[in-house]
Amino acid sequence: MISQNALRHAEKCRFCFMCRHLCPIQLQTGKEVNTPRAKGLLLSMVNKGAAEFDKDMAQTMYECLICDACVNDCATGYQPPLYIREARTEAVVNDLAPQAVMQLIENVDATGNIYGVQKPSFAQEGSDVLVYIGEVAACKVPQMAEGLLKVLAKAGVSAKVLDNEPASGVMLADLMGYVDEVAQQAKACAAAINATGIKTVVVLDSYDAEIMKQRYAQWGAEINAEIITATAYVAKLIEDGKLAAKAACGTLGACHDDDRLARTFYEFAPIRAIAKAAGYQLTEMFNKERLAKSCGSAVALAYMPNIVTKVAAGRWDDLARTEATAMLTASPEAYLCLSQATPEGKQVVDLYSALAE
Amino acid sequence: MKILVCMKAVPSTGQVQVDGQFRLQRDGAKLQWNIADEAALEAALTLKSAEDTVTVLTMGPAKLEDPLRELLARGADRAILVSDPAFAGADTVATAGTIAKAAEFLGDFDLILCGRRAIDGETGQTPAMVAAALGIPCISNAESVQLQNGAVFVARRLESGTVLLSVPCPVCVSMCEYTYTLRLPGIMGMRRAKSKTVELLDSAALGLSPQSCGLKGSLTKVISMDSKFPGLRNGPKETDLNAGTDALLAMLQEVVK
Repeated sequence: MISQNALRHAEKCRFCFMCRHLCPIQLQTGKEVNTPRAKGLLLSMVNKGAAEFDKDMAQTMYECLICDACVNDCATGYQPPLYIREARTEAVVNDLAPQAVMQLIENVDATGNIYGVQKPSFAQEGSDVLVYIGEVAACKVPQMAEGLLKVLAKAGVSAKVLDNEPASGVMLADLMGYVDEVAQQAKACAAAINATGIKTVVVLDSYDAEIMKQRYAQWGAEINAEIITATAYVAKLIEDGKLAAKAACGTLGACHDDDRLARTFYEFAPIRAIAKAAGYQLTEMFNKERLAKSCGSAVALAYMPNIVTKVAAGRWDDLARTEATAMLTASPEAYLCLSQATPEGKQVVDLYSALAE
Repeated sequence: MKILVCMKAVPSTGQVQVDGQFRLQRDGAKLQWNIADEAALEAALTLKSAEDTVTVLTMGPAKLEDPLRELLARGADRAILVSDPAFAGADTVATAGTIAKAAEFLGDFDLILCGRRAIDGETGQTPAMVAAALGIPCISNAESVQLQNGAVFVARRLESGTVLLSVPCPVCVSMCEYTYTLRLPGIMGMRRAKSKTVELLDSAALGLSPQSCGLKGSLTKVISMDSKFPGLRNGPKETDLNAGTDALLAMLQEVVK
């Protein structure tokens, strides 16, 4: 049931090979089938009756981070994530998705998050902004959530965090595509946010910010507040003089532009402003800003840890080509993935904690 | 409660082509469901309780079977494709007559929901004609629809506001665009849809003679077709916002003259 629109994106590839050179998974695994264009070809073959959509093909569709690097550089403007997401829907509907993926979906059913645990609460009262922590920070990188809340307190911002914060739906969307189950999560999340009456929502995880800003309205899940990424919000606090810059720490670092900040929001300056305010001297990796190489996503890490660890190591290779010793990030997803492969002598820095110290 | 939703597949904007008889060419065109019809379907799915059934019906080529199946995945219980080469070229009278025949064939519906107009023809006539053919009332331009004790409560859009109407079933209601956001298909819905059949109704099944449907059964004939403002799209590209605004204003003033 791949839509005509998605098939159009799959079938009109002109084989220019650009995505082959950019795909972080292909770069690490070396498998031709891991290029976005190969995934498109496979779906095209299925559509023409020349191949069967089987478990192997479904597995291939999950060997993608949906990092949008291919979209960013596609010469013809096609969007592989469109058909990859729909292929994942097809895989789940037909019980062809990898077992690890199905387990994560069951975890979401049971607990609301892919980790299958009670989501830790960061609940606090406040009135200026609502901070949306997200599943990844809450369950896997709690220090970053705490760091952000400390930074906001330091700037005199009264920040509220919901108790029993609902899932945004972004994780389920990566696992099974844009389906009604995801829209239902979005509606519940929007309702909880709207019930606070707060007009500014600061979103820690840019993956959550993306789905809220780009998808919620078309699913009838409007949020009656401004959605702003935590990086943009904190950078503005620094610019407005509400947060004082720290003394230089003497460490040379390079900022990692996470997938969504890099290619959805084109938000490059805020993270660098935060890094400077945290006392870091900055250099740049060759693959930066819109061309930043992905280091993995939390969802992909959960169902294919070996591949994502290799992908994260690939990002560390980029850092090794500079003089920097620190990879600087304000993304819980990036922090989690980079931490899986930190080389000796290097460190991954959570910028909110660094700024809060 | 039996609800029928009439859906129309229309060419995506900008891809409209017509043949020598000024009939829209749907075969090669990328199609989408008419926006107001999507609102009608969502209204039906919102009203639907466990005992109710929602049937979607469309009239068009055989290639609409897959898009209809997707509507089953979104929550419709039954999908009907009214398709026959004899139906080609139908105007609103012939279309409404065919749909009404199909509705009669399928059984007594309590509520028929349609979009108020299609984005290709923009006549807005078909819902009222279907209702007339079936001998039931029609409420057009609905913004919302609710059911209570066998009656339909409709908020109907007027030029100066909204009027609330109550009508006993059976009734036909045509919905305004963007009033309801059509839900996404769910995983369970897609699994259910796989085992369902899209039912085909042709002219023989409906007992329609070739003279009473399609182009032959139409009362109107398109005798010419022109672009209202030829060449407007081929003007110079303007990259400066202010200059572009001035150019657009001048162009609009020229059109108004």
